[in-house]
Amino acid sequence: MTTLRIPARSRLGGLARSTPAYITVALVALVVIFSLISPEWRFLDATNLQAIGRNSAGLVLLAVGLTFVLGAGHIDLSVGATLVLSSVVAGTVAVRLAGEPSASGTFPNAGLAIVIAALAAVVVGGVAGLINGVLVTRLKVNSFVVTLGTMGVATGAAQVLTNGANVAGIPPAVQTSFGLNTVAGIPLPLVLAVVVSLLAGVVLTQTSAGRHALAIGSSADGAMRAGVNVQRSTIVVFVIAGLMAGLAGFLDISRFGTTAISGHSTTMLQALSAVIIGGTSLFGGRASVPGSVIATFIPTVLLAGFVMVGVSSFYQNIAIGVVLIIAVWLDQMRGK
Amino acid sequence: MTDRRTPALRASGLAKSFGHVQALRQGELTVHAGEVVALVGDNGAGKSTLISCVSGALLPDAGEVSVDGRPMPLGSIRAAMEHGIATVYQGLAMAPDLSVAENLFLSCELRRPGLLGRLGLLDKKAMRERAWQLMDGLGITTLQDVTLPVGDLSGGQRQVVAVARAVSRAGRLVIMDEPTAALGARQSQMVIETIKATRDRGLGVVLISHDLPRVLEVADRIVIMRLGRVVADLAASGLKIGQIVALMLGERDNDREEGLPA
Repeated sequence: MTTLRIPARSRLGGLARSTPAYITVALVALVVIFSLISPEWRFLDATNLQAIGRNSAGLVLLAVGLTFVLGAGHIDLSVGATLVLSSVVAGTVAVRLAGEPSASGTFPNAGLAIVIAALAAVVVGGVAGLINGVLVTRLKVNSFVVTLGTMGVATGAAQVLTNGANVAGIPPAVQTSFGLNTVAGIPLPLVLAVVVSLLAGVVLTQTSAGRHALAIGSSADGAMRAGVNVQRSTIVVFVIAGLMAGLAGFLDISRFGTTAISGHSTTMLQALSAVIIGGTSLFGGRASVPGSVIATFIPTVLLAGFVMVGVSSFYQNIAIGVVLIIAVWLDQMRGK
Repeated sequence: MTDRRTPALRASGLAKSFGHVQALRQGELTVHAGEVVALVGDNGAGKSTLISCVSGALLPDAGEVSVDGRPMPLGSIRAAMEHGIATVYQGLAMAPDLSVAENLFLSCELRRPGLLGRLGLLDKKAMRERAWQLMDGLGITTLQDVTLPVGDLSGGQRQVVAVARAVSRAGRLVIMDEPTAALGARQSQMVIETIKATRDRGLGVVLISHDLPRVLEVADRIVIMRLGRVVADLAASGLKIGQIVALMLGERDNDREEGLPA
């Protein structure tokens, strides 16, 4: 039997304990350092910051989805592949529905085609998540194994659909009106990602769905005996991750104007790193959407900064690896 | 000692096997409102299996359970909860990362009033306050903060939270599987007082315990199990510990050789 150990918990103490606070400090420090050493403060240029925001939007969504899955004590290795499959389906739908382009290069049904493509991407993602959730709960196969499998299935399905080629001929309006567009200087995809993240944060901390996910991650047996519908709650977290990956797939074509089938081999690992750096426990029970969102910017800021100060972008991977290990080490030192 | 009222709980003919092991052969249990029934027996006698069938954690191979005379669907914790049966499990059933208040209301969360509640938003403040009232009403004063993660509590405090949760949810019956097993003397007494408070509220209580002196202090009836069967169902008053032990172990020596540690 353990003796009672009541940690000091003033409001300030709670803030100092919280990982999002640490991550924010680290991120601000990175921005300041890169600003100081970049020539003529160019790191703070609107174009540079907008590029960082655009490059982060999809990753933010993936990380938010994974936050739920990890919080529930599972893992989803398939989110990167689901992103690719969703983008391929969305791109194909957009091309089919947009009609024949006129001589000036405009498509007659571009607007409608893009909206339906976005819906298709989200539906594909949601179905992929549902399949993951059903396999994990019904077959009772470990989620690492299930999603390792569906990762391969989704990647293969995307390649089969297009014979491995990227989808060409998507109406450029998807870029001009959405992907490269801004409101008040902020890239639209980032605005979308942040709004969705805020909603997800409310779901995680203010609803039964979020609380049950964390309860399962903390003790699946305990949650079940307390009356939580463990199967349903588990399926819900995988569907959330899938929906996020689907939406990220649409953001992908809106950013490039085409798909990037082979461009996402490390995307899932980047998102996973961000979630863990952001303070979500790899073993479930504790999760933070703000932590994940903020931590997502660390790799993109590092990349942009390295490029600006003339360091090879290859060092980004090394830096992220080091940051990941330090973050988890710090987390273990502080808590538990 | 016959009671003509409809019992709060009647379980009859319950049986459950795990592979070749017949853990429960003949599970019978009747509990009236405001009555404390102790379920005693040696390790492996089938006590936990019997109450798991009643609490919905296990689906029995045979038998039936009725609450207030109405048959209850078996094998569903949710259904048992809806019939007013709440259980304190051996080894507890807490989510250690969640707070005391969050665990008390887990799967029975309160929502905010109005539109926000209909959108699914939780009323955390109300749950914290109700958690306080609940602990206070049960005379539980060792817990200063209902926002602490349960994982940060001592074993005794966790047990108290588990008991409080079961009592707050039970409409008819609280089942407690070894609620004092890991506790010190003072904390055990606190749980016993909580059991009495629960009985006085008109709930039925099923208590599994090896602590026979405490069992005799609080129980109205003693149900004794051996080798998966109920072998005796006796009024507790006037009963001696020696008599109970004799029934638990069986009178004949060869029973001990069937795997019953003395």
